[in-house]
Amino acid sequence: MSEAPAANKKVLGLFALAMINVAAVLSIRNFPSMAIYGWSCIGWYIIGAVVFLIPISLAGAELATGWPEGGGVYAWVKQAFGEKGGFVALFCEWSNNLVWFPTVLSFTAATLAFALTPDLAANPWFMFSVMMIVFWGTTAIAYFGEEASTKFSNVGVILGSIVPSLLIIGLGLWWLGSGQKIVIPHFTLAQTVPVINLSTLPFFATIVLLFAGMEMAGFHALETKNPQRDFPRAMALSAIIIVICTVLATLAIAIVIPVDQLNLASGVMQAIQYFFNAAGIGWAVGPMALLITLGGVVNLAAWLIGPAKGLGIVAEEGNMPPLFDRTNKYGAPVAVLVIQALIGSVISLLYVFLPSVNQAYWILSAMTVELLCIVYILVFASLIKLRYSKPDTPRPFKIPGGMAGVWIVGGLGLFGTILSFIVGLMPPSYFSNWVVYVGSVLLGTFILAVPPLIFLKFKHPGWLKKSPGGEQP
Amino acid sequence: MTLSKNGEICLALIVAVMFVLPCLMLGMIYEAEPYHVIPGEPVKTAMDTAGISVVDVKGTLWNMTGALGGKTYTLTDPEGDTAYVATQAFDSAGSRDAAVRLYNAHAPGKGKQVGSMIVVGQYIVYATPANSPIFAKLVSALKQAAKATA
Repeated sequence: MSEAPAANKKVLGLFALAMINVAAVLSIRNFPSMAIYGWSCIGWYIIGAVVFLIPISLAGAELATGWPEGGGVYAWVKQAFGEKGGFVALFCEWSNNLVWFPTVLSFTAATLAFALTPDLAANPWFMFSVMMIVFWGTTAIAYFGEEASTKFSNVGVILGSIVPSLLIIGLGLWWLGSGQKIVIPHFTLAQTVPVINLSTLPFFATIVLLFAGMEMAGFHALETKNPQRDFPRAMALSAIIIVICTVLATLAIAIVIPVDQLNLASGVMQAIQYFFNAAGIGWAVGPMALLITLGGVVNLAAWLIGPAKGLGIVAEEGNMPPLFDRTNKYGAPVAVLVIQALIGSVISLLYVFLPSVNQAYWILSAMTVELLCIVYILVFASLIKLRYSKPDTPRPFKIPGGMAGVWIVGGLGLFGTILSFIVGLMPPSYFSNWVVYVGSVLLGTFILAVPPLIFLKFKHPGWLKKSPGGEQP
Repeated sequence: MTLSKNGEICLALIVAVMFVLPCLMLGMIYEAEPYHVIPGEPVKTAMDTAGISVVDVKGTLWNMTGALGGKTYTLTDPEGDTAYVATQAFDSAGSRDAAVRLYNAHAPGKGKQVGSMIVVGQYIVYATPANSPIFAKLVSALKQAAKATA
């Protein structure tokens, strides 16, 4: 089915790999929502780092260096739990995107509207048009393969995510230095401790998945110059950039903008406008909106390209009908990209034109959480299992501490993701019928996770067009 | 089990439909709240009905197209829970729904939205924390009031 043998050019180095992860994880749109928590956002971030960010970074580094083949989570989980497990893990990572894409697309369109004229955000046709241009435009960039995507990602993540974060941090420092009023109470260690009770417990899942995407670089193993050297370093570099930008920029917003302003309009541009006006640089709101729009596009691109590449490899291995195994001369999985764009477009259409059905969207968000938790539960379980089942496979990066170290890292990750899965099933308090809620979330999650089992049921040798190495059988 | 070429295309289509189906089903199960102007302060009335105490209240205007103003309440109940509830009226269904979209678009990372939001006539009602029992009581009182006026 492929137009030409897809030669995997080794174009990715340490910096490019790190930027793929930063693009997938670092998002300005998280900051105002987190700033609501004031100093306790530090405590929430520490929880997220301990039970997810650090474990997934270490697990990703060990698995990516041990099995530096294409497919990311598919390759890792397949080694531990076989083809079925690997396929389910990858498919869950891909399918949750399709439900999530409208969120980031809508964010991008609303931010662009803010740069042009904010009234446009209330026009569903403007919103849908921009969302489609961004979605299909990003798909088009992915069409031109790894080199084009990498260049776009590198430039985009610096301009659209890192620069705006640093700008917010810089303004926060200026605010402190110039003796302006800090709107949250003075810092004490006690204030960094988050309030955890039944009302706030569902937020645990949000804070854990705030750092989802740290495994994204693993999908690009085939295009990496020296995966065994660069993956661990890229994981470390990206984690450092993400933590510094996220924590400091959130605190900068928290000390400047009163919590009631954040509470009632958690939109990032509303917060930025308040922030910039307070700092006397209101003129910079428009350019900032354009940068953040770019950041949204890059965030979308990271999630759009990585899992699609993984699915392309699964199709190449004959686990999906040949229809899905169509790559172009740049090595891009065009069939998967187009199918993804078509499904995403339909869901976006529903999202824009049925917006006040908020309960329905809440359930879709919960499905995204559950699907992602399945992915990470399988990844952490694979990390532990592979230390037993394949102890002799060379791992240029090994989690320190021997088996105890692996159990601590994998155990923390499993704890975080299993608890997130459970609290992800808790309905918001206004849902009167929790049985319907839990049933809907579980049924939806099942529907979006089950296609690999259908494909494998119908799998036959005719689907195998190429061996995994790229040779014709 | 083997499939013909057409069978494979059907299989791919079925999988594609499986993605859209849950979204469509949810859209049908949960009806959209029609835009209509409710006179008075329905949220304040519901608070009084539900026995929720208002600790603090401020008038607010959201920086959003079509926002007409509303109030931010700090609430407590006899059980000692605290919640923050913000209301905002909008001048049209379009501007109200744009605010809902904006809220959904700001879910951090790949997680769920922070807080809870419901739509009542021309109002958006936003509460933190998401699972506040006070908000549950408030929503229940709002639903009863809506039934009574229907």
